[in-house]
Amino acid sequence: MSRTLRRRSTIAASLALVASLGLAACGGSDSGSSAVPPSASGGGEDALQSVYDAAPVADAAALLSDSTMAAIKERGVLRVAAALDAPLLSQQDPSNPDDIQGFDIDLAKMLAIYIIGEPNIEVVPPASETREALLTNGTVDVVFNTYTITEERAQQIEFAGPYFVSGLAVAVPSDNTDISGIDDLGGKTVIVGANTPAVTAVPEQQPTAEVVSFATDPQCVQALTQGRGDAYVQDYTLLAADAQSNAGIKVVGQPFTQEAYGIGLPPDDQDFKDFVNDWLEQIYADGSWAAVFDATLGTVGDGSTPEPPTIGSVPGS
Amino acid sequence: MSALVENWPALLAGLGTTLLVLVTSAVGALVLGTLVVVARVSPVPVLRAAAFGYVQVLVNVPLLALLLLAVFALPDAGLLAPLTLTAIIVLTVYEAAYVAEALRSGINTVPRGQVEASRALGFTLSQTLRLVVVPQAARAVVQPLGNVLIALLMNTALAATVGVVELTSAVNKVNLVQAEPIPIFGAAGLVYMALALVIGLGAGRIEKRVAIRR
Repeated sequence: MSRTLRRRSTIAASLALVASLGLAACGGSDSGSSAVPPSASGGGEDALQSVYDAAPVADAAALLSDSTMAAIKERGVLRVAAALDAPLLSQQDPSNPDDIQGFDIDLAKMLAIYIIGEPNIEVVPPASETREALLTNGTVDVVFNTYTITEERAQQIEFAGPYFVSGLAVAVPSDNTDISGIDDLGGKTVIVGANTPAVTAVPEQQPTAEVVSFATDPQCVQALTQGRGDAYVQDYTLLAADAQSNAGIKVVGQPFTQEAYGIGLPPDDQDFKDFVNDWLEQIYADGSWAAVFDATLGTVGDGSTPEPPTIGSVPGS
Repeated sequence: MSALVENWPALLAGLGTTLLVLVTSAVGALVLGTLVVVARVSPVPVLRAAAFGYVQVLVNVPLLALLLLAVFALPDAGLLAPLTLTAIIVLTVYEAAYVAEALRSGINTVPRGQVEASRALGFTLSQTLRLVVVPQAARAVVQPLGNVLIALLMNTALAATVGVVELTSAVNKVNLVQAEPIPIFGAAGLVYMALALVIGLGAGRIEKRVAIRR
């Protein structure tokens, strides 16, 4: 009853079909937005070489014997859980996988210099939902992953820092004039990133808003420009980067939450926590934290450099 | 465990969406898959080629790519459908290709002589398919179809990536607050296992009931 086509034509036909679909896919995702922000002109990452060169290195005495930091120095590489797709924070260059740039990654390299003397890091991309497990089971030494300090999380792992304080803000399509901040989102459809603080913060502030979550930031931007939602709520710095690279959206109003980002550390390791907090104090004091900020997150926004947050100022840190 | 108990309404709603997506796309895939396989074995060359192309394309493109295309590329072409509906349609179209292949393997078990015999008895093509071929073919592939439906159940989790709040997405949200990935995702895994078991055991029973005793 059935007749088999000749094999060669089968392969050719399926290849052609897949190729055309693949091309369509690229066209679809490229038209709206790009995950990679325009490279910073002047200053930028290249200026950081001098910061690395002058980065503090811990005294041998600070690496207590049998401690986590001694084990890291012994191994010669710091294992870091960090994203590969977060513009300005931790963004991998698609054409050169070894090249990851951003605020989180630069700080991770500085911590590696502090412990080992070399910026040797091994990046493990975590899913947001598995960061506690990665720390608890020892897969990674530290988490630099816009890891908001919360008391629930602090029951399972330790947080050093906070090392950065940001907040959630609202972005809308450029032609929207009705929405000027979180207060106008009642009853609206709001796009959020899956596993970001916005998932819980938006319903808290606007219980009548309908929340739709997408996996990645570029998907959220695409969904906003295509009209799947009225607004997109995300970290202010990320939105500023998006709005800079995509004329179709704009950021409205000021951040409406305070998110304190901490460095995730393995549980019950007070020595390591004190050690990392000491390092943070040093880079706050010598200006290298500010230099890293200026080269990354500081390239968008109003151009001013914020004061570093106070260590231990947040419940859970 | 308290994390699960405190959030049961959200989790139950997520499970409801998973079941809605599962049942609607399973029914859709069974119907569409049957139509595709009928075209695949029909004597009309154009239909045969179209059904062949359909199966090859859908079996060889990852489901996630299809979902992302449907959700993010179709709106650029002016087609903006609700997310859950989009996911159901994509899952239906995708799984129909697997249903068609499972059914076709069943059709290949029906001896050619029976088709020739029914033609000799004056059956039309439609009669041959309805009365002779498909009933025997379907009986032979109850268990493989059960496996296709189990795969469909697992594939519904991919809808979480495009904003559908089904079970996986709901447990993600609970975990975001509670930060206890192992019990939370473990529990979700058990629910998926239980559902798969229901489908698998159901398929086993149906297979026994409809088996042809020769």
